[in-house]
Amino acid sequence: MKLNSEQIIDKSLKLVVCFFVASAGLWLLAAALFAYISAAKLTDPFFLSSFEYFTYGKIKLAQANAFVYGWGGNSIFAVTLWIVARLAQTESRGRVLVIFAGIIWNLAITFGLLGILDGHMTPHEMLEMPAEVWPALFISYCVIAFFIVVVHRSRKNKETIAPQWFLLSSLLWFPMLFLIAWNGLEINPARGTVQSVLSMWFGQSLIWLWLTPVALGAAYYIIPAILGRAIDKYYLAVFGFWCIATLAPWSVVHHLEGGPVPMWIPAIGTVMSIAMIFPIAVASTNFHSTAFLDISKVWDSLPLRFVIFGTLSYTISSYIGVIFSLPSVAKITQFSIINDFHFNQRVYGFFSMIIFGMVYYILPKITGNEIAKGAKAFHFWTSAFGVLILLLAYLIGGLTHGVLAQQPSLSWASSVISSVMPYFLITELAFIVLGFSQLVFVINVWKAIIPNPFAFWTCGDSQSKPETSA
Amino acid sequence: MNNLLKFTIGIFLSLGVAWLAFVVGARAQFGDLSPSSQNLDDDGNIPLDADLYPLPLSGTAEQGSKEYLALGCMTCHTQQVRMVEAGFDVERGWGQRPSVARDYIHQEHVLLGNTRIGPDLANVGRRQPDLEWLHKHLFEPQSLVPQSLCPPSPFLYDQVDQPSDKSITVVDDSNISRFIVPSIRAKRLVSYIRSLHQDYELPEMAFVINEEDEPDEAAGKENLLDFDSNQSSLPSWLDTQIASGKEIYMKAAPGGGLCFTCHQPTGEGLAGQFPPLAGSDWVLGDKERLIKISIYGLMGEIEVNGIKYNNVMAPPGIPPGSLTDQQIADVLTYIRNDWGNSASAVTSLEVSAVRSQIKGRAPMQMWTAAELNAVDE
Ligand code: HEC
Ligand code: HEC
Repeated sequence: MKLNSEQIIDKSLKLVVCFFVASAGLWLLAAALFAYISAAKLTDPFFLSSFEYFTYGKIKLAQANAFVYGWGGNSIFAVTLWIVARLAQTESRGRVLVIFAGIIWNLAITFGLLGILDGHMTPHEMLEMPAEVWPALFISYCVIAFFIVVVHRSRKNKETIAPQWFLLSSLLWFPMLFLIAWNGLEINPARGTVQSVLSMWFGQSLIWLWLTPVALGAAYYIIPAILGRAIDKYYLAVFGFWCIATLAPWSVVHHLEGGPVPMWIPAIGTVMSIAMIFPIAVASTNFHSTAFLDISKVWDSLPLRFVIFGTLSYTISSYIGVIFSLPSVAKITQFSIINDFHFNQRVYGFFSMIIFGMVYYILPKITGNEIAKGAKAFHFWTSAFGVLILLLAYLIGGLTHGVLAQQPSLSWASSVISSVMPYFLITELAFIVLGFSQLVFVINVWKAIIPNPFAFWTCGDSQSKPETSA
Repeated sequence: MNNLLKFTIGIFLSLGVAWLAFVVGARAQFGDLSPSSQNLDDDGNIPLDADLYPLPLSGTAEQGSKEYLALGCMTCHTQQVRMVEAGFDVERGWGQRPSVARDYIHQEHVLLGNTRIGPDLANVGRRQPDLEWLHKHLFEPQSLVPQSLCPPSPFLYDQVDQPSDKSITVVDDSNISRFIVPSIRAKRLVSYIRSLHQDYELPEMAFVINEEDEPDEAAGKENLLDFDSNQSSLPSWLDTQIASGKEIYMKAAPGGGLCFTCHQPTGEGLAGQFPPLAGSDWVLGDKERLIKISIYGLMGEIEVNGIKYNNVMAPPGIPPGSLTDQQIADVLTYIRNDWGNSASAVTSLEVSAVRSQIKGRAPMQMWTAAELNAVDE
């Protein structure tokens, strides 16, 4: 059988993409388990309390890191590798090195998380894994990124389009961000609260400049690809891209309102957050006016349903984010569990949902194995339902938390936190639903990669070592 | 967009500009703060013999901060008291004054935190100075605060069968006693928690004051006035006067008295430096003396409830000596009626009477206790 050029590219990508998707799935399960434990500890502080490894703070941070670097990192590699090669119409390069780097990446995260559980975390937001693992993470990242850039440079068509801008910028922003933060926090550490400004800036920028552009780029790719029509008002995309590039790095420090830092820092953050209305509006116009031209097709195609869920959640929750950055609102919600709302809506409701859609789109193409429709639909509905409940609980719970915390006469434990307790219970239930949903996703993925069930079960058991199993 | 190099430079610049501002800018402005004395001399220099603040942590406490980090306490606890206009942290009693950048310069790792499932800990050492309480709380917070979500850390303690002089007794709901012996790690952590207090003045309190002329303030004021005391049985004019007095007492902006920074929100003062107002024979005693102090300030040796202090209280108010008759009446009425104090209200007429009686006095000339007591007799 003669393969067409797309199939040749897919074939060249099969091993690397499968490797990253499979590892991403395992990290997703690990993160789901951590998420459940940490939520359960907020409803019952005695849950697992005699094990030092399972202290709330450690589990909570392990969850965030497993989610962002394990699931996020691996799936970013998979999606970026595939889309960039497809758009460049070029076969992938340096496969052996990329897989090798991928193994290092996953090993480093494994050690990093064990380090956190063992009490060696750093205090820097989203850089909590112990200092020793970061050089390994950074170098393996650079190797993978290098080969993606090589593929992009040898593209057949010199004109670039929106998905490429977003994917490549995210690819390059991460190492830049990391180097800046690492220099200012570890190599040449700043003194006093300047440290906090920098670490908060890194933590927020990571989400805005690393995860967000990948998901946006994937959406710009998949919506026209499945619908078979061009993005509506595509000319706006350039504007949207540069708005994100110039505004997002500024808009992320309004969390410091009223804190012991220079006053202008949260002030600028607020102004820029409000200006973020423009890029959000551009992306949502692009996506939604295209999708709503052909809404029945969106509904029928499961990958697209995931993606549109993600883009809708991006739009809605980004606007909510703008509201929460206004100083008068921020001072109420600043330290409340609204922070979990922001994190989960961005990383789960938006990024992960789009990645789920992408994975369901890519996998059948490169492996040739279809994924059962029922299983995918189950995954979609449980995820959509779980995320909605989770976000609502954090949103309403966060508002309650913030408003009550502003009443100095209410006692802390027995009035303020007790009123938030029901929401903690809801998040615990939501995490159970999401855990099942993610289990189904991982089974779907592994089945597509390794259709032989026996092989699947043996691999499925070795969860803790994702790198060996692909 | 098609040239990769130009594209890279573009996105690098977009990040670089923000970095320049936040990191380089913040470093230039705040990066080289050094410890300072509570008050500067007239030329703005640190007096030669002054103590410098913040004080460095003790070695044990320093080690404890590592335990605090390692156990992830930061995921639920912040260590920052926000500016008065940004929240009610001071009102809640989480600190006597807002935190400023200088408070953190000794810390190797700054543990500001961004979520408050637990209370702010910036001043927990003042609230909970009792070692035994802190150990019990660390071992099992629920034994002290039944609804607490603070995670127990039984792994930091040895449980023994018999009480000894090293053990601490924890009694739970069902009256069962357990005897725990703190490990070295627990001792470090508790010593760290106890060392957390930002209860010194720094020169930049003046900076904080200037920052306060903001539109937000009006809203903040209203809420402050709303403060809910359990004195609702009082006549409403007195209620209003006490509420407005409390606001003046707690306010660090023009029109405020800043009293809380020295006498503390608890009215307890600071041992050896600032005399207490709670239960003070001065506060509950002769009104005339009080009014005089509030107009001109007080210096020199003073005996409050049998304890001697020798310090300076500049004419209160921002700017100094600017409190109006009504404000003085309000704040004095407040301090005479909080923290268990209960004494008659002061009216603005009384204040203006005293003011005209002493109007010959040179501005800013502080009273001494001896002088006031002499007038008395
Ligand atoms: C799950 C969130 C959570 C974590 C993690 C947490 N705490 Fe708490 N903490 C609370 C809550 C809620 C309270 C308020 C109830 C109480 O006083 O026990 C509190 C109260 C406290 C208090 C008493 C404060 C006061 O003003 O009375 C101290 C001290 C304290 N925590 C120390 C710690 C230490 C040390 C750690 C790390 C081992 C820690 N906490 C981790 C939630 C948490
Ligand atoms: C700069 C710190 C400071 C501020 C601000 C301050 N005080 Fe004082 N206060 C002192 C000191 C110091 C003394 C003791 C003076 C001495 O040693 O002679 C004192 C003494 C007093 C006394 C008499 C002694 C006692 O404890 O009863 C009263 C009453 C008093 N202050 C009320 C106030 C009121 C009301 C305000 C706000 C309007 C205020 N103070 C603001 C530092 C301060």
